[in-house]
Amino acid sequence: MEEYINTVIKPKLQGDGGEIDFVSFENGVLTVLLQGECSKCLIVERCLDWIKGEVKRDLGIECKIRANKKKPFFWDK
Amino acid sequence: MAHIKVVRRSMRPEEWTDLRFGWLKRYIYSEKFEIENIKVRDARQVAEMEYEYYPEGWRPLKKGDMYFTPDGTAFFEADVIIPEKLRNKELWFSLKTAAEIIVKVNGKYVGGVDPNRDRILLTPYIGDETVLHFEMEGYNRSKPDDERNPESLSVRGCRQIFEGAYLSVINHTVLDLVYDIELLLDIAKSDLFNEDYRAFLNRELNNALNLIDFDDVKNEDVAAAKKYVDEVIFANDDYKGSGDVALIAHSHLDIAYYWRRIHSVQKNLRTILIQLRLMDRYPEFKYTHTQAFTYELLEKYYPDVFEELKEKIAKGQFEPVGAMYVEPDCNIPSAESLIRQCMYGQHYFREKFGKTVDNCWLPDVFGNSWILPQILKKSGVDYFVSNKMSTWNDTNRFPHNNFIWKGIDGSEVYACVPPTHFITWNMPGQIQENWEAYQDKNTGGQTMSMFGYGDGGSGCTEEMLEVMKRFDKLSIMPKTEHMGGSEFLKKNLKDNKNLAKWDGELYLEMHRGTFTTKSKMKRYNRQLEFKLREAEMVSTLRHLKGARYPYDELRECYKKLLVNQFHDILPGSHITPVYRDAMADYEDIDRRLDKIIGTGEKYFNSLNFTRNHLTFIEDENGKSIRYGKQGNWVIPNLPPLSSGEIRWRTFAGDWCEIADTVTTPFYKIKFNYDGSIESLYDRELDREWVGGEFNKLKLYKDNPGVYDAWDILPNYKDREVDVKIISPLKTVEKNSEVASFEVVLGTEKSTWKRIIRVFRQSRGIEVENVVDWNEKHVLAKAQFECNVLTRKAVCDTSAGFIERDTHRNTSWQQARFEVCHHKWVDMAETDGGVALINDSKYGVGLLENSMSLSLLRATIRPDVTSDLGHHEFSYMIYPHGGDFVKAEINNIAYEYNIPLGKADLTCENSFGELYMQAMKMSENGKMIVIRLSEQNGKRGAIKLGGKVKLLNMLEDVIGETDTVEYKPFEIITIGIET
Repeated sequence: MEEYINTVIKPKLQGDGGEIDFVSFENGVLTVLLQGECSKCLIVERCLDWIKGEVKRDLGIECKIRANKKKPFFWDK
Repeated sequence: MAHIKVVRRSMRPEEWTDLRFGWLKRYIYSEKFEIENIKVRDARQVAEMEYEYYPEGWRPLKKGDMYFTPDGTAFFEADVIIPEKLRNKELWFSLKTAAEIIVKVNGKYVGGVDPNRDRILLTPYIGDETVLHFEMEGYNRSKPDDERNPESLSVRGCRQIFEGAYLSVINHTVLDLVYDIELLLDIAKSDLFNEDYRAFLNRELNNALNLIDFDDVKNEDVAAAKKYVDEVIFANDDYKGSGDVALIAHSHLDIAYYWRRIHSVQKNLRTILIQLRLMDRYPEFKYTHTQAFTYELLEKYYPDVFEELKEKIAKGQFEPVGAMYVEPDCNIPSAESLIRQCMYGQHYFREKFGKTVDNCWLPDVFGNSWILPQILKKSGVDYFVSNKMSTWNDTNRFPHNNFIWKGIDGSEVYACVPPTHFITWNMPGQIQENWEAYQDKNTGGQTMSMFGYGDGGSGCTEEMLEVMKRFDKLSIMPKTEHMGGSEFLKKNLKDNKNLAKWDGELYLEMHRGTFTTKSKMKRYNRQLEFKLREAEMVSTLRHLKGARYPYDELRECYKKLLVNQFHDILPGSHITPVYRDAMADYEDIDRRLDKIIGTGEKYFNSLNFTRNHLTFIEDENGKSIRYGKQGNWVIPNLPPLSSGEIRWRTFAGDWCEIADTVTTPFYKIKFNYDGSIESLYDRELDREWVGGEFNKLKLYKDNPGVYDAWDILPNYKDREVDVKIISPLKTVEKNSEVASFEVVLGTEKSTWKRIIRVFRQSRGIEVENVVDWNEKHVLAKAQFECNVLTRKAVCDTSAGFIERDTHRNTSWQQARFEVCHHKWVDMAETDGGVALINDSKYGVGLLENSMSLSLLRATIRPDVTSDLGHHEFSYMIYPHGGDFVKAEINNIAYEYNIPLGKADLTCENSFGELYMQAMKMSENGKMIVIRLSEQNGKRGAIKLGGKVKLLNMLEDVIGETDTVEYKPFEIITIGIET
């Protein structure tokens, strides 16, 4: 899962100025850290649903995603 | 008594007008037919015109479906039979989207939709066809180009909801009124216009809308409202405005930024296509477009559209502006790079469109070197345009908009720094703001106001042109005139005797961090600039001996480097994939140039002066190590432009005493444990050079805010980050030429190894830095407080030097707390000083007796990974007697930056005191082109053995001479026929 997030999902989000870091995958829950543009995206849930679908298609794993957002100080108002 | 603030809760009349205006817009389309059989295929672009497709393949796309993926491109197709009731009507395609979609119908590119426009006129492009085959390509962008535009901000995000695509018919009566009201509301809401007129507008717009019953909207009522606007509002000329504003259509296209360069292929097509289609409908519309590179892309991938573009250029509607190949950063690239930006740009425009562009168009570039006017002037460019200094300076108001810019050598170009942003949507408030901000009202003629969406292209909209048609009806507005870019410059600046003159660099009081962000890119750029010089020179000399000159290969390498000098690439203000692309390009250029340069039996001095300063030559049996490679420190003593063998003898004596103080033939040095220098006593000159912290690594919290990669703020010294000594200074090497000392410093996250070298035969003290950098929001500098009293420091520009004040007397000096330099900076008294020579650093702070060389940053926007990882770079401390010219600091800096390689070549003429900046075959293959640069501020003449051609920087012959006469900082190009 970690390799998949780092090699398949991350480059795509980086292409939009976003950033995703794998934190853990335990008991079917994938925890990720979102930074960059993803950290302030108002519709990031749509993207997380898409990631779930990609994981299911490519790895055959149904997962829930817990996303922690880390906004830079200048967006943290 | 408590104060009660009265808040009005009932609807204001202006809000009632806004509300009805919103309702009116719902009637723009009189008929809509939903295209229901759209299919979509998701992909991701991986190279120019190359895609990886998602395995799902084609799927139906219905209204309400999710579409687009992160960094995603989507392809769409649909076949539509035009319904009977829509035939013979003016037909439009409409699609509201956050993406950038190029639309092709029945094999013809008909236009583009994006967040700034949601419809395309079809009728003129489909003929009598009743069956339409749609092919569309869209690139989604989660970040809107311009966050000032609330409409585009509202649709940001990687995953979008498809809102449906339609064949539509427009009610022009409604649309005309919509444009009228849009225009008038902009004035009514702008406090830049007369208060009474705005009250008049609010009253009369209400009256006009009262003519429409919004429960039953009838065309005749809309027409009556439109008539009311014409007869009551537009007919009123009681309120007089003033001013004279030229409206120039332009779209800013960052070829990479929040997107990769590969996406600029489609961004450019979409932008150009939209303008071409507007020109079809509005023949009076003129549009300016920069960057020869983008024209090349269009020609390569979309030849049909390129042919159409050529027609519009020939008609004068579409105007290539900006002589350069891309819009490069103008701080960091060397003089020769900037010359090539002009040469490759102008050659392209000449070849394809038969014109030499007379202007340099850099709206968004982060400051401009003093060397530019000469380069422009000698590249067929008389005019310079950049909006940046007027709209972005953080301290001083740049005092001119239309003026003359005098360069380092005395060359002059006309300059226009328009008073407002390069992205506007041509609304009256923006035009009025431009006029009010214009500082040369009485001397400069008209003021330039650019309009058109941009950053990622897009350009002008129908709305911008429709409101522009109405400006003449408004007496309150400044007089406006829509014209081309070159037309504006000629009309207002050419031969204008009243223009003020600015003599100096066009320093941008912002974005000072871009001299330092993404350190590795700066290093590669420097190395490759010199490697290209080497490759062209050895190829030319070999060609004279009969070898093939690799024209195409060298041109491709040069162009690739030039593309990566774009103002959001080399400065470091971009997302992670842009950085990866640039590094891959650099590696590719490096490999290709190594192959071209090849090798030989002997060492080749490509400099046109004797190479007589200490140099590191790689040798697997060498006694020293530098950057992890073995080699020897030697004085080559190679004559100019010649090859020879280098012999070195081992010095037998003990030249360096290492105790509490390190004694060399030149210095007694007292080091601190962290590698900083407590005392640097010059034994030759009998003086102390240290006046405080010297060679001290300083880390500062660097929190510039939202422009993270771009800016360093003046308060950066407020909070220092503690630097710990992990391994104190120790001796690691001592041989017949060099003694090296190593210290490892660090923070909790990073380690910083410094290897400090002192030499038997050189006054230089080198500091090699090997850093594993894992910081966030930290700026690293090396601080040098010198025992020198001066009010000026001297900085290399790559083609001459610039003096900079080291005091903070006025706001102009205060704003320049961080400046750009090239290979060296020097701080001196009349009989001696200290130079810092670097191999890849550009930012430096100069204050009183101190120089602080910026080494690394750690920014997180736009790239959260920026500068993380391993870094290697060096600088050399070079105390000297006399001034920097007498001390040959510039020569030493060249030798420090150009590795000594092998090639068995010689050249007879070395051209005296001028620096040979380039030697190449001319682009037409008929001449050897030699570029000579005066860099020490001197005047003189070089008598040649015979006649040579004098060339401009485009390689045009402009004269003939047997003597090269030069003046301070002049760059001279000569051609020798082969």
